[in-house]
Amino acid sequence: MELLFLLPIFLPLLTAIFLFFNKNLFNELITNFFTLNSALLSFAISFYVFVMLALDKFQPISYSIFQWTNTPDIKIDFTLDGLSGIMLLLVTGLSFIIQLFSTSYMETDEKHNNYFVYFNFFVFSMLLLVMSSNFLVMFFGWELVGLSSYLLISFWSKKPEAAKAGNKAFILNRVGDFGFLIGLMIILNTFNTFDFYTVLKSASDVPENTITLITLFLLLGAFGKSAQFPLFSWLPDAMEGPTPASALIHAATMVTAGVFMLVRISPILQHSKIAGMVIISFGLITTLLAAFSAINQYDIKKVLAYSTISQLGFMFIAIGAGAYVAAIFHLVTHAFFKALLFLGAGAVIHSMHHEQDIRKMGGLRKQMPVTASMMGIGTLAISGIPPLAGFWSKDEILASVFANGGIYYIFWALGLGAAFLTAFYMGRHWLLIFEKDNGFDHSNVNEAPKTMTRPLIILGLFSIFIGFVNTPFFHGVEKVLHYSLEGVEITHLPEGITLIVLAVLSIGAGFTGLLIAYLIFSFEIFKRFNFKRINLDYPINLIKDLSFNVLYLNKLGNSIFVSGMKNFTRKVAVIVDGLIIDGSVNFVSTAFGKTSRVASATQTGLVRSYVVYFGLFLLLLIGLFIITPMVPQ
Amino acid sequence: MRTILKERKKMFEVTTDWYLTLSAILFSIGFFGMMIRKNALIMFMCIELMLNAVNLTFISASKHFGQIDGQIAVFFVLVVAAAEVVVGLAIIVSIFRKQSSASVDVLNVSRG
Repeated sequence: MELLFLLPIFLPLLTAIFLFFNKNLFNELITNFFTLNSALLSFAISFYVFVMLALDKFQPISYSIFQWTNTPDIKIDFTLDGLSGIMLLLVTGLSFIIQLFSTSYMETDEKHNNYFVYFNFFVFSMLLLVMSSNFLVMFFGWELVGLSSYLLISFWSKKPEAAKAGNKAFILNRVGDFGFLIGLMIILNTFNTFDFYTVLKSASDVPENTITLITLFLLLGAFGKSAQFPLFSWLPDAMEGPTPASALIHAATMVTAGVFMLVRISPILQHSKIAGMVIISFGLITTLLAAFSAINQYDIKKVLAYSTISQLGFMFIAIGAGAYVAAIFHLVTHAFFKALLFLGAGAVIHSMHHEQDIRKMGGLRKQMPVTASMMGIGTLAISGIPPLAGFWSKDEILASVFANGGIYYIFWALGLGAAFLTAFYMGRHWLLIFEKDNGFDHSNVNEAPKTMTRPLIILGLFSIFIGFVNTPFFHGVEKVLHYSLEGVEITHLPEGITLIVLAVLSIGAGFTGLLIAYLIFSFEIFKRFNFKRINLDYPINLIKDLSFNVLYLNKLGNSIFVSGMKNFTRKVAVIVDGLIIDGSVNFVSTAFGKTSRVASATQTGLVRSYVVYFGLFLLLLIGLFIITPMVPQ
Repeated sequence: MRTILKERKKMFEVTTDWYLTLSAILFSIGFFGMMIRKNALIMFMCIELMLNAVNLTFISASKHFGQIDGQIAVFFVLVVAAAEVVVGLAIIVSIFRKQSSASVDVLNVSRG
């Protein structure tokens, strides 16, 4: 058992290495065969391990591979508990489904084999991250997912946008990793170990200021990886990568690493009030900002990217409000319906021959019925329509925020607003792609092949039913996480009538959003009724402009951190390098050159002139001798 | 007789100053020769002249102060001059072979 749960971690690594060294040997079919079977085996073992763990009431199991140093206590070890078990199942399961989809999506690509090498390497890194039993191994995984994400974003590196997007993601993640690294140093300094259990258990003996410092630095890492407010702009750009990779990395798993990490350190997180406040406020800003930005995007994937950022913001809100179970639950449900939406978008892009502008789509429902219905399920799920998955998790988050009372009522109201926006933009997204007739001829568009629609159907079924694992009547996820969150105060749902009122309100927000989207984009209310009395053009255009440009935050950030930095460094280069360093070096050489040129003029090469110098010197000596006063002996 | 001679000697006594003056004249002749002549052999002879002027200074000083040190120095100078003649003549011969004239002005390769 101890060794068995290591197998799913290292199987993808072995596959990646194997495929890498046989790159030129294997054709597509053999590559597909190996990678799919390895993913399936990995998932099967994970499932078996998870069931064994469940039979054992989710008692954590640890296995240490290698003791690096004794003092401080650093080792390479792995742990399997409820939290990492959920992530293990999620990553391996989605990895298999998405690889199945990828075999068809990447079929004609010339770097087909490379794609699966990177993909398997990503799965390995992600599992390293989630299965680790100490901060150091987690950091290894943390960095490796950043690397593999970079490789997959700039997969089509011949496109300059893709190469740029990869760089942007990598650099912005680096800002976060910097915080993570400093957090690790403080942890090692304070606790003298990296082991989760030791650190988390002895957290109460440490002064609150140290805890706050640690959590704030780790939080910076989480913000970077999970694309939260100051560091979010890499995720929409990351959509340059292949769509299935976006589905796994930039929607379902990697971006949730920050959430996972914060839940993992929740025993120390709960000791810091400031950190909680920071998390919830940044989560709210992110959610609202990203939801607002999503309402006027025209790239089929960018809408989903902003939606992902917004949903990640929801998870951060849940963590800030102390509802760790709700955060993990939303992570799981979101992984399914967002992977569904991304794969659906991938199927649409595939059928539209790599057209990503949703203004050029419309009315695709007739041509692609399966994709349309599955994406419809995904849209309803993310909008929070019961009984689909998104409703249960989102409602649990909002209700938990409400249950905290005080200032959290405002947070709850803002969260509800974000939920409304979510329903609106997702409704718009679906309607613009599949319903509204934009006057383009789509007669040559066909339904995606079966290898693409089958994963969609599987994910669609999950998006419907996965929500039932943790309802107000059956706290499944809470039971699974029992040992992982031992000693953590979890915000529970409010009781009785309040819960029902909250649920009705959040369903209402979802339905209103969808209804308004229907009225505007399908019923075309602005064309049918004359709103001339109230001049709506200006505010609507303003909103559209601000939303499309993300409140001009990207441009602002670009002018400050990119152009400003470039100008500054250019000035530094001119002044420090050009004037001071080059100047001093050049001065030395020119000074020597000039003086030696003057001195060398005296060296005529004629013996007679030397004789003259000699005579002059002799005269000088004699002169000196004469004018020197005699010293009496 | 002796006293007459002595008196005569007193009249035309050749003092150390005379020797020193002669030595200075010889040295100056040598030095000017060095400065104005191009021929390596002549220059060499000028050097010898200057050396001998110095020797004369040494000897007269030695006589003047009644000390033997100056005469010893002269022996050293003679030895060095002999050695110098050997080397110097060899150099002059090789110069001569190379450019078929003993002019030193042509040899200005070390010009700065």
